[in-house]
Amino acid sequence: MGLGAYVAVSAALFALGVVAIIVRRNVLYVLMGIEMILNAANINFVAFSHFQGGALDGRMFAIFTIILAAAEAAVALAIVLNVFYLFDSVRPSEADLLRE
Amino acid sequence: MDRYLADLGLIAPELVLTLLSLVVLVWDLVTKGRDSRQVAYLSLAGLGVVAYLLLGQWGDLAATGGKAETVAFGMVTIDAFGTFFKLFTVGSLAVVILFVLADRRERKHGIGEYYFLLLGAGIGVFFMVSTNNLLLLMLGLELLSLASYSLAGFHKSERRSAEASMKYVIFGGLSAGIMLYGISLLYGLTGTIDLNEMGIADGSGWPVGLAAQFAQDPVPVAVAIVLILAGFAYKVSVVPFHFWTPDVYEGAPTPVTTFLAVASKAAGFAVLLRFVGALFLVEGVDSTVAAYGERIGLLIAILAAVTMTLGNLSALRQTSMKRMLAYSSIAHAGYVLMGLAAMTPAGFSAAMFYLAAYYFMNLGAFGFLLYFEGVNKSEDIDALKGMGWKAPVVSIVMVAFLVSLTGLPPTVGFYGKLLLFYEGVDAGLGWLVLIAALNSVVSLFYYFRIAKALFLSEPAEREAEPQPFFTGFLALLGVGTILFGIYTEPLQNWSETGTDSLGIAEASE
Repeated sequence: MGLGAYVAVSAALFALGVVAIIVRRNVLYVLMGIEMILNAANINFVAFSHFQGGALDGRMFAIFTIILAAAEAAVALAIVLNVFYLFDSVRPSEADLLRE
Repeated sequence: MDRYLADLGLIAPELVLTLLSLVVLVWDLVTKGRDSRQVAYLSLAGLGVVAYLLLGQWGDLAATGGKAETVAFGMVTIDAFGTFFKLFTVGSLAVVILFVLADRRERKHGIGEYYFLLLGAGIGVFFMVSTNNLLLLMLGLELLSLASYSLAGFHKSERRSAEASMKYVIFGGLSAGIMLYGISLLYGLTGTIDLNEMGIADGSGWPVGLAAQFAQDPVPVAVAIVLILAGFAYKVSVVPFHFWTPDVYEGAPTPVTTFLAVASKAAGFAVLLRFVGALFLVEGVDSTVAAYGERIGLLIAILAAVTMTLGNLSALRQTSMKRMLAYSSIAHAGYVLMGLAAMTPAGFSAAMFYLAAYYFMNLGAFGFLLYFEGVNKSEDIDALKGMGWKAPVVSIVMVAFLVSLTGLPPTVGFYGKLLLFYEGVDAGLGWLVLIAALNSVVSLFYYFRIAKALFLSEPAEREAEPQPFFTGFLALLGVGTILFGIYTEPLQNWSETGTDSLGIAEASE
């Protein structure tokens, strides 16, 4: 498989992630969408790194991104859990105290 | 081996700050449940040490013309530009900790994590402002973001705070993802994650660099750069990535809002300046790349115009002072972008000067907000009516901050704006300067609503209990705002040294 195939998959994953964030009304799906975007970037990093003569920069970046995604998911889920306790809902549209 | 040890000396401030954050964390665990004021005093003392080290470093760097030194295999770049922002970050961290101590509504027990998270955010800022490497930049940015998400939701039982942190984490996660995707594309196209190499490489060898890509097909590179700029735009709340700002600023605890509005935003600008400078303006940059830099500059100019207009117009109709300051901070992001849009070293140094001014006046304005939140138990501008006579010193100092935020003499905000306008006209952005000037007039209306409420109403019935320490501290910031507006030399020299160290040059026509 050529580089193009990997980039195509990653672009599709990125697009799906963005759509998930925009369309779904539930925070958990939004967080999944964010994970998909991060993983789309990971596919890019690893694929580019492989096809460019194996410089390690890209692979290192991917490893750090995985850690970063885990940390972000932990913080985000803790926040969502707290919102759920206070609002009995995980839909951003129902937590709307802050507006003009 | 010796070389690596010597390198460690260059990142001594970062190391001390990291160590400090760990000590604070452990100390808080050991003395859990007791007064966490001790933790605050420890943090302040530690920040003092960091500031001392940074000042020493600044002296060394300024002596050599602010030239950059790299540490850890080129990952960390120590230069005057980064040190400038680190110094202000340390200053604003210390101010925020003092705010927490002075805040009437903040619990004083068992909030040691507060300080740990603040210091953690500080470490993120330190690394993101001193690197040309996209990996470290991303990690620093995320460390700052993750700490900020938790801080925004720190009042766990308050629904507003919880909602703010949720909105923040969603917007933040999305824009970090978009930025990361942009970085992955840029890496694929140029073959490197080092910004300097990207800008300078001529395409004949490896890494490919930007020049060859622009010559071949500019679209993918442009897409990648726009995606990355979107990530920065979120951090500095530029339209169209500003939606989170008012909600998060309003819902977060006020000391945290101060941190987000001042330190976090200025750090975002620092990275943005470095990114654009390293890619498009650095000395020896390829002419094709420089030509595209002009277009990016135009894009930034348009965003600046929209951002300042939208921020100011929205601020006009706010009744809550906290929310008004949030919109005002969006407007100020627009002003700073003018310096960037000029795409000249002088424009960059004007932007740095304005950011320094921004630290003073916004720390002061948020301090005032915090003071009256404690007195009035309300953030409404109406609640301030007649309070000017009850707390005269704080109120008079606030007027100085408001004058500076509007950009009138004799304050630091005036001189900063003057520099930005001058450089804007110099770079042929007359239309943008005109819009900014009109915006300043608009901002006069809503800033002076506060002054009017304070002094031009009947004296209020309520009494404001004197808080000498807090008052004195705000007065100090007020003196700084006016003093640096009259003696502009030092700040101007510092920002010029900072810009010099980026190694950027006038674009060759």
